[in-house]
Amino acid sequence: MNSREYSDERLLAEWRANVTAARAANDPQAVMAMIPYSGFIGGQVKLDNDRLLYWLEKRSSNIGNPSLPAIHGGVIGGFLELSASIEIIYGLDIATLPKVVDFSLDYLRPGRYKTTYARCTVLRQGKKLVNVTASAWQDDEQTPIATARCHFLI
Amino acid sequence: MAFDMAIALFRPAIKYAMERNGHGAALGFKLDKISRGETSLIFPYKEETVGNPITGVVHGGVIVSLLDTACGCAAMTVLGTPSVTPTMDLRLDYMRPAEPYKSIYVEAKVYRKSSTVIFCRGLAWQDDREKPIAHCVANFMRVDAKSVQFRTIAATKLKRLLPWRRSRVSDVKDES
Repeated sequence: MNSREYSDERLLAEWRANVTAARAANDPQAVMAMIPYSGFIGGQVKLDNDRLLYWLEKRSSNIGNPSLPAIHGGVIGGFLELSASIEIIYGLDIATLPKVVDFSLDYLRPGRYKTTYARCTVLRQGKKLVNVTASAWQDDEQTPIATARCHFLI
Repeated sequence: MAFDMAIALFRPAIKYAMERNGHGAALGFKLDKISRGETSLIFPYKEETVGNPITGVVHGGVIVSLLDTACGCAAMTVLGTPSVTPTMDLRLDYMRPAEPYKSIYVEAKVYRKSSTVIFCRGLAWQDDREKPIAHCVANFMRVDAKSVQFRTIAATKLKRLLPWRRSRVSDVKDES
């Protein structure tokens, strides 16, 4: 299969229909499940008090440092980037997938080997760019393990 | 340059710890070059890591992991005794969209080492190094080599290979 077949108009129409259906059913996890990478790291999402709450399953394939053990820094970054993009796809009315332009991540505490949660906030939505911040925590939302901010092109 | 014994000894350990463990093993990249302050790796395209189901391009998170790993390894090698260097922060600029079905090449370099922080830069490209898909800057903390010995990673893994120790490390396994 080549990239031409992949970027079929039909796939885009199908994508839009699925996103619309997921919104109508109040099921953000359906959007998450459409992205293969979410299954690779074990990222999930649910509606919680009208906001989206993301979580990352405890998985041995996400470990970066087996001696602690701690979650791989790249997985935490990938999870926050994935969460930020779901926040846009599910929350904003856009026709296609947002493209990430830049991503900045601060590691505040070690990511222990347990379930990690995240929440995102869209700070600004322009015509072309969207700015989103994301914060990840494990035990307590007030003690984040990492924060990220990213720009997406829509 | 004189033969660097410390790196020659730690190269297999770093390779083992990065390629055979946890997320490194899941991604399936190959560390290609490990020398003082410089590393490179190759990531063959993987269907499971797709972020855009319409175009088939890998997710940005994969590029974060690759650059974090390459920069982290480069940071480890500048220490007298290579030890774990926790990431402080990382900034990634996506210069152009990656293309599906193509390998991603990553290169990382340490450009400054202070007493507490190691500053790294990384680059990711596919066909042409002059046309990178992503550029990153990442800073790492220098921790006391005695407190977190790099060889404990290899030792932990070796212990898991011994069948009579398996029960003790069962907590580092999937619950599913």
